[in-house]
Amino acid sequence: MPKNKNGKQKMSRRKFLKTASGAVAVGLLAKHAPRAKASATKSQSLGPGQVEIKLNVNGKDRVLKVEPRVTLVEALRERLGLTGTKRTCDHGECGACTVLLDGRAVCSCMTLAVNAQGKKIITIEGLAQGKLLARLQKAFVQHGAMQCGFCTSGMIMSLQALLDQHPKATSAQIRTAIAGNYCRCGALPNILKAANAVARA
Amino acid sequence: MSPYGRAGRGAQAPPPQDVKKKKLKAKVGLAQKPQMVEIEVPEIELPVWDLDAKLKIVGKAAPRIEGSEKVTGQAKYTLDYTPLDLPGLLYAEVLRSPYAHARVTSIDASRAAALDGVKAVMLIAKGAGFDASNALLDVVAEGPVLHPADREVIAEGEEVAVVAAVSEAIAEDALELIDVKYERLSHVVDYEDARKPNAPLVHPGTSSNVIPADPSTAGDIAKGFAEADVTIERNLRVPVLLHNCAEPHAAVARWEGPKLTVWASTQGINDFRDDLAKAFKMDKADIRVITQHMGGGFGSKFGMQNYGALAALMARQAKAPVKLAYDRHEENQVGGNRPNATMWIKIGAKKDGTLTALQCRAYGTAGVGRDAAVTNVMGIVYKCPNRKLEDSDVYTNAGTGLPMRAPGFPQGSFAIESAMDDLADELKMDPLELRRKNMVDLPLLALDEMYTIGAEKIGWSRRAGMGPKMDSPIKRGIGMGTAVWPNYSGPPAVSRVTIAPDGSVESAMAVQDLGTGTWSIMAMVTAEELGIPLEAVKVTLGDTRLELNAPASGGSVTALSITPAIRLAAADARRKLFDKVAPAFQAKPEDLVCEDGKISVRGRPGPALTWKEATAKLSAPVSGHGERLPNVEPYGGLPLWGAQFAEVEVDTETGLVRVVKVVAVHEAGRVINPATFEAQIHGGVMMGLGLALLEKRFMDKPEGRVINPNLEDYKMIGPEELPEIETVIVEPITPMNNVGGKGIGEPCTVPTAAAVANAVAHALGVRVAELPLTPDRILDALAAKKEA
Repeated sequence: MPKNKNGKQKMSRRKFLKTASGAVAVGLLAKHAPRAKASATKSQSLGPGQVEIKLNVNGKDRVLKVEPRVTLVEALRERLGLTGTKRTCDHGECGACTVLLDGRAVCSCMTLAVNAQGKKIITIEGLAQGKLLARLQKAFVQHGAMQCGFCTSGMIMSLQALLDQHPKATSAQIRTAIAGNYCRCGALPNILKAANAVARA
Repeated sequence: MSPYGRAGRGAQAPPPQDVKKKKLKAKVGLAQKPQMVEIEVPEIELPVWDLDAKLKIVGKAAPRIEGSEKVTGQAKYTLDYTPLDLPGLLYAEVLRSPYAHARVTSIDASRAAALDGVKAVMLIAKGAGFDASNALLDVVAEGPVLHPADREVIAEGEEVAVVAAVSEAIAEDALELIDVKYERLSHVVDYEDARKPNAPLVHPGTSSNVIPADPSTAGDIAKGFAEADVTIERNLRVPVLLHNCAEPHAAVARWEGPKLTVWASTQGINDFRDDLAKAFKMDKADIRVITQHMGGGFGSKFGMQNYGALAALMARQAKAPVKLAYDRHEENQVGGNRPNATMWIKIGAKKDGTLTALQCRAYGTAGVGRDAAVTNVMGIVYKCPNRKLEDSDVYTNAGTGLPMRAPGFPQGSFAIESAMDDLADELKMDPLELRRKNMVDLPLLALDEMYTIGAEKIGWSRRAGMGPKMDSPIKRGIGMGTAVWPNYSGPPAVSRVTIAPDGSVESAMAVQDLGTGTWSIMAMVTAEELGIPLEAVKVTLGDTRLELNAPASGGSVTALSITPAIRLAAADARRKLFDKVAPAFQAKPEDLVCEDGKISVRGRPGPALTWKEATAKLSAPVSGHGERLPNVEPYGGLPLWGAQFAEVEVDTETGLVRVVKVVAVHEAGRVINPATFEAQIHGGVMMGLGLALLEKRFMDKPEGRVINPNLEDYKMIGPEELPEIETVIVEPITPMNNVGGKGIGEPCTVPTAAAVANAVAHALGVRVAELPLTPDRILDALAAKKEA
């Protein structure tokens, strides 16, 4: 097995995703055609090299060419310029890259761009209506629920997913919803205040 | 000297010569206990915003002015520059040593260079004259060489080669194509092992890994202990912590001919530029460093460091803009850490609690770097006439330590506050009374008041019913600690405030906002001084091209280094505006005032001009200039104080500690924005709780590597552990600057871990001597107590 840049004799995340993508594709196909025979899915291998994909981001279809190993967060940020979605760990440990995929909060660093096709992707840039901030966004500003702001997008997206499903979420549900989002500045007390204000409004 | 080096350089600024002075009176201290003082200040100084000042914006909690940019994802951080902003942008990745100590015997990057999409490859060697105290800079100080012979790496993660390619993935592929052969050499990553006589030497050419202490002494320590009725001796330990800022160290460099622009995630754009000028032997005027928003620093992002140098070098070699960002793993190998410490502390006191002697011998490791000092806090937090404090650095083959929020203080605070509580036990004295007994004598000190408020808010009197005697496996306890941090704010800081004919106002300074709220306080102070609404002020910061020098943000210096200069610049701009509009009032410019956006003649009822009517009389924008004046002494030398109280629940069956509540009482003189001030306290407390309960870097001794360089295994306080944090602001106004304030970033993290540790000791009736207070340690301490 190749060494990654830290010399570890283990698979890097990117390599892991690259290898796993075939299997994920099988899974997706199976979901849409549950009765299809396993053999029918064998042709689903992409790359190497760039492939054309279509992503539905914040209500708009975007066509771009990416290598199959490109993650959703890389495609959003480096290719589409939607840099509001942040990246701090690249291992699904920090939650800063959280986006909504068909309404579910997912780590876009753990999702391949090719596998996000056919789903509705909502990023932090897609929450406000023109200059009108979404309720959570407004509450975050009012309650000072951010310091450096680097975790803010992920926090808001995780909470948005919760509040979309449970508009009157309890304080405990709110804590659980952001348990996978880290904040080093210590904005958490005000983040909880902001989220609770929206859930109690 | 500030532990932040240049961050606190204000304290070292030379006093200006031959400045005409005047005398001013100011009503300062606490509102309930005001004091009139007379101060001597330069002729141009403004009256202090003292207790009589009627302020309309400053002191009122205001949402961050950059808030909507941050919640919509529009705020631009260094990491956010993409090929869409900078066409042709390349991604740099660094090949790092997997070994803690090795010699590079051969290196061949030809296969990497040949890979499609790779635009530059550089091998790195250390320069001659390796300076351990500046380990980060040294790697590139002498520039790159192509064939490093006998390259020796002395820590895991040290740079070996760098690649720039059209995508991150291709750059990573290229790293795998670089063939490096290492000859492994013996290493040591444990600081106890490193102190042993036969330990492998971390820095070649040295004779020992231990740097002897340079003791700081006062009085006569032997006499002090001879006078004591009671002495307490403890051995206490704290681990290495990792900064783990959300945004990693990142830089984007672009050359345009001989000119260099670097977007950087840095705590000091000016120092970053100065370092680049030195490393690349360039004129400062040809370098521009920009930091609009940055995702936290906590001490780990001062100066250019290797990420800045390598980005600029690769951009030059590839003839294209280059982005270089550490990933989380790199961040926690080479991005800095807080040194650990073993602290032997001994204190002596009279029966009435008066301290007679305080001694501490401490050692810790900052890896291949230096400055693991932890005893500074002990020299200032309590009054004790006889002191001997010794800090000794131990080199290990690990990433260099860097300042981390109040360097050395939380560690030292844990030691002295533990010893104080155990002394109180021995003396059968209330721990809070022991602190009151030994408060320092300083002007304008409001510590006694802060103790009283904190004790009341936490319910100190409930302590008597808590502790091991409680009839439940879950025991409760309450503990406290004193916060202190020296004042390092001061000059230089240069501000420019510009009033345009359309009424808009720009407040500009080459300072950076790490997330602390600098954007907002700049606007608030400008609006307050001019007498206009907050919304009228636009802030410009984070760009060295402004040529408006400001300190690096660290050491709690930013707010009160910059805002006194902003007031002066705003007043200067207002004078220029009044010169233009005075004829309309048939009055002298100095008789005009602006309040609530309306300009009128002082004391004369009658027509007023609105701000916009007045500025419309300007034919062109007018700019005011303000420079931070030296602190007014002796007030400039006074520390920043606070007191924190913690209540805990300890499950004696599982060893789990739950912090129920923290009360944090802090002062910073005049508070500019209570909203961001309180937010700082939340952050300081949470970082302190991390030290108390969860955080620790683990090293693999045989392999010499960081075991938990990620956010999964490096545990921090999250929503599930977060207790109620009650903040209380006490405002003893200081006359040391015209704003009347100090700072808050560091003092709020100093005593948190100590307060929690004391609460746990109170709950259990036994001292747990090592942080973090993990269940195994709690259970071990309980077992040891049972045996005793």
